[in-house]
Amino acid sequence: MNGARARDRTATVVLHALLAGGLLVMVGPFVWMLLSSFKTFGEILRSPPTWWPLDPTLDNYSVLLGRLDFPAYFVNSTVVAVATTAGNLLFCAAAGYALAKLRFPGSRLLFAVVLGTIMVPGIVTLVPLFVLVSNLGLVNTYAGLVLPFLAQAFGVFLMRQFMLSIPDDLLEAARIDGAGEWRIFWRIVLPLSRPPLATLGILTFLASWNNFLWPLVVATTESRYTLPVALALYSVGQNRARYDLLLAGSVLIVVPVLVVFVLLQRHFVRGIATTGLK
Amino acid sequence: MTVTTGRAGGVGPQVAAAGHHRPGRPRPAWHALTGWGFALPFVALFVVFMAGPVLASLAMSFTDIRSADLRDPLGVEIVGIDNYRRLFTDDLFLRAAGNTAIFVVLGVPLTMAAALVVALGVNSGVTRFRTVFRVGYYLPVVTSIVAISVVWRFLLQPQTGLVNSLLGLVGLGGPNWLNDTHLALPTLIVMAAWRNLGFSMVIFLAGLQAIPRDLYEAATIDGAGRWAQFRYITLPVLRPTVLFVAVVTTIGYVQFFEEPFVMTQGGPLDSTLSLAYHTYNQFGFGNYGYASAMSYVLFLVVVALSIAWFRLLRSNT
Amino acid sequence: MKRPNRQAVALACALVVMLAGCGRGSDDPQATQGEQVGEGKATGEITVWAMGTEGEKLSELAADFMADNPDAKVNVTAVPWDGAHNKIATAIAGGQTPDVSMLGTTWMGEFAKTGALDVVPGDIVRKDDFFEGAWETGVVDGTSFGVPWYVETRLLYVNTEVAARAGVTVAPTDWDELKSAVQQLQQQGGAQWGIYLQPGQTGAWQTAMPFVWQAGGEVLEGETFALDSPAVTEGLEYYASFFGEGLSSKDQLRGGEWEPEFVKGTIGSFVSGPWHIGVLDELGGEGKYDLWPMPRGPQGATSFIGGSNLAVFKDSDNRDAAWKFVSYLMQPQVQIKWYQTVSDLPAVKAAWDDPAMQTDPMLKMFGDQLADAKAPPSIPTWEQVAAAIDGELERAAKGASSAADAAKAMQQKASSIGTGG
Repeated sequence: MNGARARDRTATVVLHALLAGGLLVMVGPFVWMLLSSFKTFGEILRSPPTWWPLDPTLDNYSVLLGRLDFPAYFVNSTVVAVATTAGNLLFCAAAGYALAKLRFPGSRLLFAVVLGTIMVPGIVTLVPLFVLVSNLGLVNTYAGLVLPFLAQAFGVFLMRQFMLSIPDDLLEAARIDGAGEWRIFWRIVLPLSRPPLATLGILTFLASWNNFLWPLVVATTESRYTLPVALALYSVGQNRARYDLLLAGSVLIVVPVLVVFVLLQRHFVRGIATTGLK
Repeated sequence: MTVTTGRAGGVGPQVAAAGHHRPGRPRPAWHALTGWGFALPFVALFVVFMAGPVLASLAMSFTDIRSADLRDPLGVEIVGIDNYRRLFTDDLFLRAAGNTAIFVVLGVPLTMAAALVVALGVNSGVTRFRTVFRVGYYLPVVTSIVAISVVWRFLLQPQTGLVNSLLGLVGLGGPNWLNDTHLALPTLIVMAAWRNLGFSMVIFLAGLQAIPRDLYEAATIDGAGRWAQFRYITLPVLRPTVLFVAVVTTIGYVQFFEEPFVMTQGGPLDSTLSLAYHTYNQFGFGNYGYASAMSYVLFLVVVALSIAWFRLLRSNT
Repeated sequence: MKRPNRQAVALACALVVMLAGCGRGSDDPQATQGEQVGEGKATGEITVWAMGTEGEKLSELAADFMADNPDAKVNVTAVPWDGAHNKIATAIAGGQTPDVSMLGTTWMGEFAKTGALDVVPGDIVRKDDFFEGAWETGVVDGTSFGVPWYVETRLLYVNTEVAARAGVTVAPTDWDELKSAVQQLQQQGGAQWGIYLQPGQTGAWQTAMPFVWQAGGEVLEGETFALDSPAVTEGLEYYASFFGEGLSSKDQLRGGEWEPEFVKGTIGSFVSGPWHIGVLDELGGEGKYDLWPMPRGPQGATSFIGGSNLAVFKDSDNRDAAWKFVSYLMQPQVQIKWYQTVSDLPAVKAAWDDPAMQTDPMLKMFGDQLADAKAPPSIPTWEQVAAAIDGELERAAKGASSAADAAKAMQQKASSIGTGG
């Protein structure tokens, strides 16, 4: 017994060490980005590169925040990202559930079609999509920023795959008990799907928050710009890039995403229902 | 709520064993209505904002439309599959196809395996600092690609970069990673795996939550070792998740664009030119018809690979 | 009284031109001059798109314009350079173009071909006011679709410490002198690389084409490509020789990677435009470098001219006011004020005669070079042809093919791409 436990302990230590080592590799560039956002342009480009700023400065941030109408862009990004995420969570969960658990005519075809569109490279639909949105009169509006991404095929695929593992008998039992379909969905399926919902939430929020090309194309006045567009405005020139502003901007833009990640990853917990099964 | 259904679920298995259909209930029609009902909001948005533009761009691929025709798109000539045929005489397209194939064949398994290993480690092996590990491994996914490219270029500099300095410590001379036509692509593969690991890890983590802990306990009592537990408990339950990660990672890697765009601009001598990058360039030149055809060839490749994954990892449901 | 008479004449001219230009299809630009804009103040709303710093600061000039034209309102939207080309193309497709937009000089051919751009009116600017190379960037198929707003050109930057050590005291005047100066920078000056030239990949043509032009080569002769001419080959050979002789690194270095090396003296010299003055100063290089003009090749000492133009869109509902705003920005005094605001070099020649532009010797060198600077042809397919040229340049620079073969390959690729006309 002692031997096994000692072995286990060593294994855990080794595991921790390996993971921690890997963590350093993962986190390194991010830490460098963070530290370098407090450096001057010249120091950022030094070779060999430095870690800790030799002459720390808040200039990059003050320049960016002073020139950018930061609150306005932050609000735009937040509205768009939150709306897109909320919408996706609801619609993709509903559609994913239908495809996973409700056998209905045409479901196979629908799944195939939906799956197919994930495989279409995004850039090919840019111009037709813009023409469509323009014809709908949605240019330079929040609706124009949100609607095209409100229902992601990717999200349906994700939810469907996860919901396949929800035990059918659970749903049957509820139906026998007289519960309506919507109730079943809302009261049973969704709570069981917290991990994939959290995952989808994180991924959708990230994609929406960092989305650059579509907000650039849809907004015709700066008042509708999102953060990535505004940051690109101030840091990339015709012939040169302002690395100092770029790095500071990158830090500003990543903070909300990390907050969302930390908040949502708490839901990566086992659904209690599954532990009741034999 | 979950506790209640959990208890109800405890009763479930025996009931389910009797079969799904109950006589006397209008199951099929009801299911059809509910099914479409749940799917409707998604389908409506999908048809308008996705299917429409996809069909339009597919139509574009059969014409000779260029950016000069943007104001009068209906005035273009239909050229049938001419754009598609031209692709196979385009040296750059063929080069890009080869590069992309290598990238996918090497990159997808590497990324998936690494992500699974990390997910397993963080999920079960580590009890403290779990959040730190999760956030840490996910960081490359959220870090700006520009910042990443600046850092990686420093790391890979032939004389002063960290990688070559470390190699120098063990007496090895490090090559010029990003400027060598044979090494640039493998370097980008490693970088892409590093960057995308977190994405797959997060999905695997979610998937691992569906496996009941008592299954492992029962197995340990029965004497099954770690590896056997992995093969016979973890993997089967994780199948739909693995399928998802496989398909999505494959799609992502077939369309790999950012790494060559930011790190090497497709060079040196087109050794890191990817299909998506070539397509992006063609769109930039205004060759919309040709670029659309290229996109749909990419699409067909992805469809073929996904079908292969589905065959391989199909759930038994 | 004078004014009503002038107005009547202008109106009559406008009428004539209008009738002459009636029925103009979107793909055949018949008139070489757009309908006249006439006198009078601008009124109504004018929407303007401008990229980068120009977009940020243009509202300052716009305020002056609005002071002069109280009934006009100028709305400037700043657009990031990253993706600006996409944004304009999709705007054209969706019918969402502004009244005025800033356009990169190499985009003119493509956007003019869409038929979305308005022809420049004959009465607001004169071709001779501008540097010839700059004016030509706005001319597509013989018709002028854009007016040069600001320009840039390329010169040789040299590290003065390295040059002093190498005993290079005088700027080289021709190809041989440049080659030997670079050799000295490397051998006696202590630089690892005598010069940094871009070894192919995106934008390398901007550094290489000047040498081609200096040899008398041209991209286009009439309607056909002439990239395999002996002159072009000669220019390419000269360019490639710097790599072949080990005077320039064959590695693709990114912006930000090599400037510190230049300041340190590892790289002795490089070719670039006026923006590098600011970059080098920020990197601690102030006072450590000097400028050399382009060397004289067999046929001249031509450099590259770039910059941005201003164009008005045909769909604009306030066309006259839009052109009036553009015309305002072309006044020499306004061009000087613009230089002082954002350091963009004036495209209008008269602005350079002003004493305000005579004080900085480096500025003067750029001004002098502008008189002999060329741009590539404004054809709709230019970006694609340029990419093909970049690709072959890379092969020539890295020794994967000879200059002659590279020239032939360029010609073959360009011909198959076509001029898009």
